[in-house]
Amino acid sequence: MPKSKKVLESTHWLTGILSSLEMGIVIVDKDFTVEVWNQFMENHSQIDTTDIVGNCLFGLFPEIQENWFKRKCNPVFALATPVFLIWEQRDYLFKFDTSRPVTSNADYMYQNITIMPLLNDQGKAEKLCILIYDATDQAINKLRVEGLNAQLQTISRVDGLTGLYNRRYWQERFEHEFKLSIRNKSCVTLIMLDIDHFKAVNDTYGHQTGDEVIRNIADIIRQATRGTDIAGRYGGEEFVILLPDTSCENAITVAERIRKAVMGTLIKYEHHELKYTCSLGVADLHGAYTKSQEWVEAADQALYAAKEGGRNKVVIANTDSLNDE
Amino acid sequence: MSLPIVICDDSSFARKAIARALPDGWDVDISFAENGKQAIAKIEKGLAHVLFLDLNMPVMDGYETMKIIRKFDLQTVVIVVSGDVQEEARTRMMALGALEFIEKPINNAKLVSILNDFGLYEGDSKSLKRQQGNKTGSELSDKIDLFREVCNVAMGQAGKNLAKLLDIFVELPVPSVSIVHSNELSMAIAEIDRNDSVSAVSKGFVGKGLRGEAIILFNDTHVASLNALLGYDEQDELSELETLMDVSNIIVGACLAGVANQLQLNVTHTTPIILGMHCNLEELVSKNVSSWEELLMVEIAYSVSQANVNFELLLLLPKDCLDVTYERIALIGEQSA
Repeated sequence: MPKSKKVLESTHWLTGILSSLEMGIVIVDKDFTVEVWNQFMENHSQIDTTDIVGNCLFGLFPEIQENWFKRKCNPVFALATPVFLIWEQRDYLFKFDTSRPVTSNADYMYQNITIMPLLNDQGKAEKLCILIYDATDQAINKLRVEGLNAQLQTISRVDGLTGLYNRRYWQERFEHEFKLSIRNKSCVTLIMLDIDHFKAVNDTYGHQTGDEVIRNIADIIRQATRGTDIAGRYGGEEFVILLPDTSCENAITVAERIRKAVMGTLIKYEHHELKYTCSLGVADLHGAYTKSQEWVEAADQALYAAKEGGRNKVVIANTDSLNDE
Repeated sequence: MSLPIVICDDSSFARKAIARALPDGWDVDISFAENGKQAIAKIEKGLAHVLFLDLNMPVMDGYETMKIIRKFDLQTVVIVVSGDVQEEARTRMMALGALEFIEKPINNAKLVSILNDFGLYEGDSKSLKRQQGNKTGSELSDKIDLFREVCNVAMGQAGKNLAKLLDIFVELPVPSVSIVHSNELSMAIAEIDRNDSVSAVSKGFVGKGLRGEAIILFNDTHVASLNALLGYDEQDELSELETLMDVSNIIVGACLAGVANQLQLNVTHTTPIILGMHCNLEELVSKNVSSWEELLMVEIAYSVSQANVNFELLLLLPKDCLDVTYERIALIGEQSA
């Protein structure tokens, strides 16, 4: 076969391959007038090559923001450097339907875009080649993983029975809040509370009823606190509430509200009816605490004093033994 | 009597490259300096009637050296040979009294034409004899030095692009090149504070044995000023990503093109991916680095002091890319000789 025929044949093949690639290929000049529009573009846009060549890109595709796109193309013309755009920046350049309308679980085709300079014999970029890659599957998978991670994060932070924070995450927030408040010298108070005679509830009415009591006190805590308060389930029937920007007096009001609400509740579960009470210890952040654990212990001792003092009580931590600043 | 000249550059590869480019017929007595301070000492001893001077060097850079030469009216003719090819770098040095400014990489033709222009040399341009004595060594340290110089030239071209596009002056550091184990990567990155919140995108590249990733890393506290510099006014997650991508496109594109040109390779790039937004370095690295091997790491800290902007270009390559680079440069040297 003569050489020229071979070259002709391979050019013919290449043209065929370019048109059937699963990738959009568009060539435009400096005024964004279309010069090349491959099969992929014809099929997805439903605009034939013969109808688009010679026309400006922007008039035909309102979804392409002219200023934004020109700005992205500027380095390609000015510096002859390729520019990459990813679907995280804009979901798409051309609004096309997804390639798999039934199972792709997307409303449109997500796209990654590569814009390459086409150089003339002086090495200047006079035209651009825009490549459009279908990134739908990649995008949908990433968005799904991000959604799942967010769900997992919630699950890992929340106690299943009560919907309050679990002990591990509460502790993390508590440590953070402790450091922050020490630095800002802000007013913050801790309440620790415990259901009175909870073991007897379990023994008498069964664990299911016990769980109902725990759910009930969690609801009461939720109602008595603000969105900025950090409430958690600390142990079996023990709870903690951190109240930022709250003085000891205001925290006592909150604690009393919880105590009274609990006292006034009648739990009805299956065939049982029962009433219960709780004890609470309140400790505001004291300048003498060097570790967060000392603060928790102060609240815990106040809670213990409430129990010792006959239960169904709010007791304030004794800070006399601590040296004030 | 031979003409005493000094070649001043922190890179041994660059010093030898200049020496190799000198025409055989030029009767000179060459001595070398690794920074401006050493060069000044040689000028004072009368060893530098002509001084070939690099710009970005540790201890004393080219600007400082030129200022001293001017202040004390030291007797030497300065020809700048630099990888920092920004228009303003040239203007500054010419204003300080440099005779000419040669862009790296230097070659015999460029050099001889300048020597001719200024009447310093008029003979044959051939430089075969000098090729011999100034071969690049093949020790690991020589290969690292060579690679640093290749990156130095490439990052200069990238800096010029950014400067041109934004009409600013970009301060270029000496690129740091080291071999690190991938599990100590976050410790090895020197310019980013452990506690800073950072964002990063990565792009892969491959070309005949040269392969790796180019990562643009920035400190989130600089994003606002970078946004302003690029002309995005609103500051939200999306405009931050746009900024990160714009910088990555301009810098990485030009830098890789610079490396590829010097090695006479065509490099294929991949679409960039986001490594992370607003996380600390440790988290970013541990989440993304999965290969456990020795890496060649190039760290280039770009800064624009007039706009309070810093960002970092990291090139990570498998260690054997040192050999690939060394062999390519040797091959190109043989072909041009």
